[in-house]
Amino acid sequence: MKLASKKAKVGFFSLSCCEGCVLAVLDLEEKLLQAFKQIEIVESRLLMEKVKPSALRLDIAFVEGSVVSKHDLNKLQYIREKSDFLVALGACATIAGIPGIRNALPPGLKEKIKRQAIKPIKEKVFPLTAFVKVDYLLQGCSINEQEFLDFLNKFLHGAKPRLQEVPVCFECKLRENACLLLKGEACLGPVTYAGCDALCPSQNVQCIGCRGFTNDANFESLDALFKEIGLSRKERYNLFTYFNQLPEQLKHLKGDR
Amino acid sequence: MNYVLSKEDLAPFLAQLSKRFQVIVPAKNDSGIVTFQEFSGQEVCLETERLSSPKKFFRPAKEKIFSFAKKKEGYEVKPVFDKTKRVIFGIRPCDTHALQALDELFIRYYGLDQFYSSRRKNTLLIALQCTKACENGFCQSMGTSQAVGADIVFTERGDEFFVRPETEAGRAILDRKLFKQTGDAEPSSKISCKVSLETHNLAENIYRGFESPVWKQEAERCLSCTSCTQVCPTCYCYTTDDEFEFGSGSKSSRFRFLDSCQLKRFTTVAGNHMFRASRSSRLRQFVLHKFSYYQENHGMQLCVGCGRCISVCPTKISLVEIANSIQKQVLEGAK
Repeated sequence: MKLASKKAKVGFFSLSCCEGCVLAVLDLEEKLLQAFKQIEIVESRLLMEKVKPSALRLDIAFVEGSVVSKHDLNKLQYIREKSDFLVALGACATIAGIPGIRNALPPGLKEKIKRQAIKPIKEKVFPLTAFVKVDYLLQGCSINEQEFLDFLNKFLHGAKPRLQEVPVCFECKLRENACLLLKGEACLGPVTYAGCDALCPSQNVQCIGCRGFTNDANFESLDALFKEIGLSRKERYNLFTYFNQLPEQLKHLKGDR
Repeated sequence: MNYVLSKEDLAPFLAQLSKRFQVIVPAKNDSGIVTFQEFSGQEVCLETERLSSPKKFFRPAKEKIFSFAKKKEGYEVKPVFDKTKRVIFGIRPCDTHALQALDELFIRYYGLDQFYSSRRKNTLLIALQCTKACENGFCQSMGTSQAVGADIVFTERGDEFFVRPETEAGRAILDRKLFKQTGDAEPSSKISCKVSLETHNLAENIYRGFESPVWKQEAERCLSCTSCTQVCPTCYCYTTDDEFEFGSGSKSSRFRFLDSCQLKRFTTVAGNHMFRASRSSRLRQFVLHKFSYYQENHGMQLCVGCGRCISVCPTKISLVEIANSIQKQVLEGAK
């Protein structure tokens, strides 16, 4: 998109999630008002007084939440068709996140939930990428507000936004934190994408992978390290599947549950 | 002429300096790590063990290098140089050698990197010799255990410092009331490192082990977490990116960011070609750059033996162990 005299038309949409990511956008307050010099919100349940589905074509659609039902899928496909650029917002949309825990549940429990829930698709929870072309990912639970602004700014100036693609350890070292792994705590920092400014490890809390696994994660080595630290198979399984889907390399953690 | 400063007088000396300079000292941060931070009366940490280096004052993680704005004709570009008058107290000998290595690249070899040299020119270094070996350091092997290129060199001696000014600028900041002249000989700063690296023909021997199976064996443990390159006082690789402000006619800035050779992204070039796709080839690049390539291109080692990369590795990969075992292999194979 060129630095336009016309304002960019933007929509925010929520599938199955807590709506925390759009709330994080609202948290920008003053800074969001600055952005309004260049954007116009035409569709959003949370950001607009009156909600009416707009027939207008969108320059950018921000979509949060996972696809868990037929209803979600229809909505996603409708959004994709009318948007030039689609951004997946937050852990649910990018890696199935918290709703995705359902995929890792033991079968008995899954049946029990299924009876009570709305019609699921193929019994599984999916990120947006499973169904439509996603142009950009803003990861995290919830998203990093500054990263959202940086993306929007770049996009509006016609620059190509670039994914961070560095692990949390990269930013954690820049903040000069004591390494949790070296202290004997299980931290997913080495295999998780940064962009959060190592928020959790900086508060002495282990990383649980909300920004998704890196494209270069050495799962086998980290798993061996967790084992050495003293984590049981179940604990390791739970940690690796907290936000993420179990990677192929760690199938052995599944056991006979 | 040399001087003596009582340890009690260190804080008053630094406080005095901070009226004219931004004074940087080693001190513990919230997570208990000794880091270089601005002096504001906090306790100066004289421990030898430290994971962070003063690299961030010369090669910051994020550095604005110029701003640009669109004009009627073309662009207006304004470079940004950090001209802060700075004094770094307590820089260790290994880190002074690291600056020599960076000077070679950014001042002598590249012509002149003004962003770097501006920081360098405006910073005074007060080195602190080591009187005790740190856990993983191997500066003895690398010949980097004595400070070089500092303005003043401090050596601990009981409850005082022995002070040797090296430059005019260094001599000028010594307060005559606090610093007492002495005719004593400089106390010994000879240490015995616990870790040692075989350095005879190091550059050549390691390069000969390019195809060694050791790289792959060690890389199996490597998490590609980039911790080693982040704490390394000489790792300088960077990438650039732009930031914008909202609104038309807006101002924009270009930034330089620290990057890491251990990342897939770093080795990805146009057309998405990845020239070091495997983890072992990236680990090998790190070690060869330190020991072989820099020697070949600049006639000096890029590794200063501080041992931080060993201390910080979650899976305990040691570049000394790698280098020693490869050299052993190469030399045995040559017999």
